[in-house]
Amino acid sequence: MRVDLIDRAMAASGAAVRAIVYTMLALPALLVIVCSFTSGDSLNFPPTGFSMRWYREAWQNELFMTALWTSTYIAVLVSTMALAIGFAAAFAINRFAFPGKGFLQALAFSPLIVPAVVLGIGLLQLFAKLNLTQTIYPLLLGHLVLAIPYVMRTILASLSLHNRVLEEAAMNLRASPLKVIRRITLPLILPGLLSAAIFAFVTSFGNVTVSAFLTYGGHVTLPVQIFTYVDTSYDPLVAAVSSLMIVITLVIILVIERLIGADRVA
Amino acid sequence: MILLLVIFLIVPTFGLLRASFLSESHLLDGSGFSLKQYIRFFSDSYYSSVLFETFVDGIIVSLVCLAIGFPTGYSLARLSPLARRWRIIIVIMPLTLSLVVIVFGWLIILGRNGVINALLLSSGIASSPKQLLFSRPAVITVLVQQFLPFMILSVMSVVTQIDPVLEHAAANLRANRLATFRKVVIPLALPGIFAGFNLVFVLSISAFITPRLIGGNRVAMLGSLIYERIMAELNWPSGAAMAFILLVSGLGVTAALNALAASRVVTKGGRYAR
Repeated sequence: MRVDLIDRAMAASGAAVRAIVYTMLALPALLVIVCSFTSGDSLNFPPTGFSMRWYREAWQNELFMTALWTSTYIAVLVSTMALAIGFAAAFAINRFAFPGKGFLQALAFSPLIVPAVVLGIGLLQLFAKLNLTQTIYPLLLGHLVLAIPYVMRTILASLSLHNRVLEEAAMNLRASPLKVIRRITLPLILPGLLSAAIFAFVTSFGNVTVSAFLTYGGHVTLPVQIFTYVDTSYDPLVAAVSSLMIVITLVIILVIERLIGADRVA
Repeated sequence: MILLLVIFLIVPTFGLLRASFLSESHLLDGSGFSLKQYIRFFSDSYYSSVLFETFVDGIIVSLVCLAIGFPTGYSLARLSPLARRWRIIIVIMPLTLSLVVIVFGWLIILGRNGVINALLLSSGIASSPKQLLFSRPAVITVLVQQFLPFMILSVMSVVTQIDPVLEHAAANLRANRLATFRKVVIPLALPGIFAGFNLVFVLSISAFITPRLIGGNRVAMLGSLIYERIMAELNWPSGAAMAFILLVSGLGVTAALNALAASRVVTKGGRYAR
């Protein structure tokens, strides 16, 4: 192989770009965590002193803690429902040929291309007509729609990767189809299912673009609460709450990484 | 699932379309049909300038993401799985982390008492804190950081499918890296480039959290305008019409890119790939 000046220039600029990109991607989250430990009254950089003061305040702040609780249980409900629906649909798409299959597949991934603003107001309007804006349903169903593409993609990938010979062997041994699914298919794709559920969880837990429209009535999720708070003022309290979200998200990513490898997430 | 998506995705979208044809006076009973909202939108120079700016911003964000996301995605695809691990986690983190948290991180970086101002002051480059927030470049920078992972991952997923043998062959034929890139890698990676560009563009033009928090009142983008219309003024028809303009432009760009990708792959990419 020949190496000339252009090669060297490209290699050097590539390395520089990559360094900048990784720093830029990690920096905001890192700084939030650093600033959350300040003992001062305002968000300064570098932070003045070190204390857990703002974490205590966050813990005692009813607004944020209620929102954290709302976010958590909506996310748990969404991941359970998304898993059940996603598995059924993905199984059908993977195993059977039926009319409208292409349509179903396209529909499953369509929430990705509808802008959040459009989905948000559309749902708000629908639930306003149904007189349900004060309930939890708008958030629950909005998040469910958003989570479906991710869940479908993860389950479809693990279904197409596992070896179907094992199922055929079980069927040869006279296992009923239901038993095959329960004893062979489900355990085999369990890592995929778990990461699909976790995906649904993070999608719901972190979402703000659609939720901002759907928390019109009673229930406010944590990201929306942060958004409305930051919209008027910001102080280290939000840094502490945000750090909490960062840690939760990071733990979840590491779990997914353990389960199926971060590569396959993409 | 079909039922779920039809009821909670398709129906609301059409409901919105219906609402966009109402005039304010018929909002409550939901009757009547008028193009008033659309006519007003396209005849008012303020709205058309916001629409234009939103599009320009979307294109800038997508191009910057492409320029820095392509080399990153390419290098990720060529790394060993072990070396890839931590980098992938860094790339995925902003995707899974809530958008407000990222934006809040940027407020710390760009704010009056923020990181950049602290650096400027302590190094003596500036004598007083600079106003970095509430400007278009700030909004664009933050949007780039938010949506860059989409570009990186799209590029990475196509490049992993390109056999490195093709690049070695080109190198053996005395092509330098630039020529190999231009004639082998880029044509083959085009589907990923288009997919990433498309995603980033659609996400950027419909963004509203970032323009609102980083841009404030100074930077108007269509998304934040819609948010204010609906949530503050409760002006449904106007907000719905704008949301529809957004949806249609997003779908239009998607269709155009798909058509372009199809023609490119058949002619150019196909020729090099064989």
